[in-house]
Amino acid sequence: MRRLALSTTALSIAILSGCSGNESQDPFVSYDKNPYPSTYQASEQMTVLITGATVLDGLGGKLESADVLLENGVIKAVGQGIDVGNAKVIDGTGKYVTPGIIDVHSHLGAYPNPSVESHQDGNEMTHPVTAEVWVEHSVWPQDPGFETARAGGITTLQILPGSANLIGGRSVTLKNVSAHTMQAMKMPDAPYGLKMACGENPKRVYGGRKEAPSTRMGNMAGYRMAWSEATEYKRAWDKYESDYKAGKNVQAPERDFTLDTLVGVLEGDIKIHNHCYKAEEMAMMIDLSKEFGYHAGTFHHAVEAYKIGDLLAENKVCAAMWPDWWGFKMEAYDMIQENAAVVDSYQNSCAVVHSDSDTTIQRLNQEAAKIMFRANENGFDISEEHAISWITSNAAISLGIEDKTGSLQAGKQADVVIWNQSPFSVYAKAEQVFIDGAKVFDVNDPEYQAQSDFLLGQQ
Amino acid sequence: MKSFKFSLLAASLLASSSAFAASVAIKNATIFTASEKGTLENASIVFEDGVITAVNPATLSADTIIDAKGKFVTPGFISAMNQIGLVEVGAVSTSRDASPKKADITFDPSYGFNPESSLIPFARKAGITRSVVTPFSWGETFHGQAFSVLMNSEFNSIVDTKTAVVVTFGAASKDSRASSILTLIDKLKGQQAKLEKASDDAEKSDKKPSEEEKLLTALLNGEVPLVAGASRASDILHLINIKKDFGVDVIISGGKDAAKVKTQLAEAKVPVMISVLDNLPGNFDSLGAGLTTAGELEKAGVEVMFINTDSHMIHNLRFDAGNAVSYGMSVDGAVAALTSNVAKAFNMDSGVLAKGKPADVVLWSGDPLELSSYAQSVWINGEKVSTEARHDKLRDRYTSKDAKRRGYIKP
Repeated sequence: MRRLALSTTALSIAILSGCSGNESQDPFVSYDKNPYPSTYQASEQMTVLITGATVLDGLGGKLESADVLLENGVIKAVGQGIDVGNAKVIDGTGKYVTPGIIDVHSHLGAYPNPSVESHQDGNEMTHPVTAEVWVEHSVWPQDPGFETARAGGITTLQILPGSANLIGGRSVTLKNVSAHTMQAMKMPDAPYGLKMACGENPKRVYGGRKEAPSTRMGNMAGYRMAWSEATEYKRAWDKYESDYKAGKNVQAPERDFTLDTLVGVLEGDIKIHNHCYKAEEMAMMIDLSKEFGYHAGTFHHAVEAYKIGDLLAENKVCAAMWPDWWGFKMEAYDMIQENAAVVDSYQNSCAVVHSDSDTTIQRLNQEAAKIMFRANENGFDISEEHAISWITSNAAISLGIEDKTGSLQAGKQADVVIWNQSPFSVYAKAEQVFIDGAKVFDVNDPEYQAQSDFLLGQQ
Repeated sequence: MKSFKFSLLAASLLASSSAFAASVAIKNATIFTASEKGTLENASIVFEDGVITAVNPATLSADTIIDAKGKFVTPGFISAMNQIGLVEVGAVSTSRDASPKKADITFDPSYGFNPESSLIPFARKAGITRSVVTPFSWGETFHGQAFSVLMNSEFNSIVDTKTAVVVTFGAASKDSRASSILTLIDKLKGQQAKLEKASDDAEKSDKKPSEEEKLLTALLNGEVPLVAGASRASDILHLINIKKDFGVDVIISGGKDAAKVKTQLAEAKVPVMISVLDNLPGNFDSLGAGLTTAGELEKAGVEVMFINTDSHMIHNLRFDAGNAVSYGMSVDGAVAALTSNVAKAFNMDSGVLAKGKPADVVLWSGDPLELSSYAQSVWINGEKVSTEARHDKLRDRYTSKDAKRRGYIKP
């Protein structure tokens, strides 16, 4: 673990507080937990009434010929016969309305297009534990992929560091608005995530350099050493705080950015997002989380989640899955197309469909559809109002933002997609997309089709 | 068309046609013929001994008659530009056989083909009955030769070798893009000169041509197509000129910027293979990438084919076609892009539902381009093939209600 050479007193970001008049105590040392705050503001928030649509509310509900009212940036009402005089009315007859689509696994901005040498900013492949890096510091808001994802109904997305490292760094959750700074996309009050990775990638990257880890057991040892250090570090800070409160003039522990992030997990502020394909590895990662007292969070690329659906549900762990990616590595060999459906079949499960792709993020609805239809061909009975939860409310749970978005409940952020037909059709298109009640995309109106600086003026 | 012939077609047909003599008819179907006949409603199709014997005959007689009840029938889909049978697991080097240490025009990867690969039944479930398999090289202009296979998992499933010569142009990180075009022009000019000299100098013609010389001659004679990977409009235009200057039967692969030069492509009758959903500018060769490319090319009169270069993912080709329809392509055009256009470009005797053609037939549960449909029955050369893959066995094992430990459950 790398410590900072600077002493705590020299840190300009230290916030001085708690000077209680006790002459014998130095100022209490604490740090700003939000030094790169969101500056996100919604665009023009409209009062919009979508009428007569088929509404999938994201929580398993389906209403036919229903209205959805957006006002002051939130969902005001969903139901039949809503009448508001001053609302802009959108005729939703024959159309579908869903919550804005959420992708829990994206590298947009960090591995942007064009994916040239200068843009490889997603993996800090210099040490197997780099919890000190924050992927938000790599995000290029001009990635044209944000625009194409928005045209596919993506309103919220988590940007993750890559999977080269055991612990790869912090994620950031963005609202998918056109902006020229990262902070202007950053979703206010969304928890940070921490990327971890199991299996082949870390052991290949570091083993190839004759460094640890080079095996799966080396991976486990690496996580355990990191969490053990974090536990010690937390103890040191807790002791500092309690001694200080007891009136002692104690010296604050030396600050460590790597361990700060891990302690954020131990304290429940940062959610784990763990690239982990295989059943036996996921089972061990659940035990690891219990060994050190944190929640295992979400397993991403959980190709073998179907083998341990019961275990995932018992531990209230989410699994984020593709419909059909397979065969590129041994750990992706045992894919089944019904994976998410099997995981979803257990009580208290949290099945999520993710993309990890700048192209399939544009069609996460089709990804969910493929799973639903393949499962229904093979004995399942999954409805579209249920399957939409995989890319809306369950995704929101995975990110810890389910109180804010991911469903069409009164009071939730007005992140809404109007589809020209059922989003479970290959021919479906997002016609209009709203984020916090502001229209950010309209398939029929170039005024609402943002273009990145990169593509502007190109032939 | 194909006088230059190392074809195994005849042998393969003979070998696989002995097992089935019974005739099959499908009636009450919407049939996408992928031919000039277009789509036929309430139609029927009959096949026997591996060959289609009638489309929509006045009277129907067959040993087996299947009532499609309004469902859909297409020709088997043909995937191209993948490494089916040459790769099992991407990151397992010993299961990868598409890339030689040093690629050149003589590399024939068909000797590495594995008809028992688990990728084949998985793709077959998605209605893919044939593939044009290609080598892949990092850095070399010439990747080698394509070959075509039946997706029936039989040891005799290679239909044709030396089906095409595969080359790549455009963005290069360790060289100028000009070098690869110059290499091709140089080889073609060199071979032209040799041929002229040989015809001037008849007594010396007993010297046997090398493998490379034979292939270059076949390219110059338009007997074997040249699959040219290129995306930037300026690169595509150079390849159109190569067709004009040397008579080479050029097929563009990639073609992200193809819509910018659609008129020139149509005029030169150069077909284009595209990945429908690749709509982002991955580099400066693809600033024109977009979801409307397929439809724009079709409208301009360019023959379009759909490819997915990820061999494990070719089952999604039909959904790519559905998305192409969403963005402006005709349904018949999208079906042709998976069938007849591929067959035509690679001189394959398949890809259409017409009398006398091989009976590669798929009966779908619904719209074949929709996410909700699946292939109910698949026939390759008239033989009904399995639509079960290893994936299905795994699913059944882990969804089984059997109380045994999973390892003992063998669905």
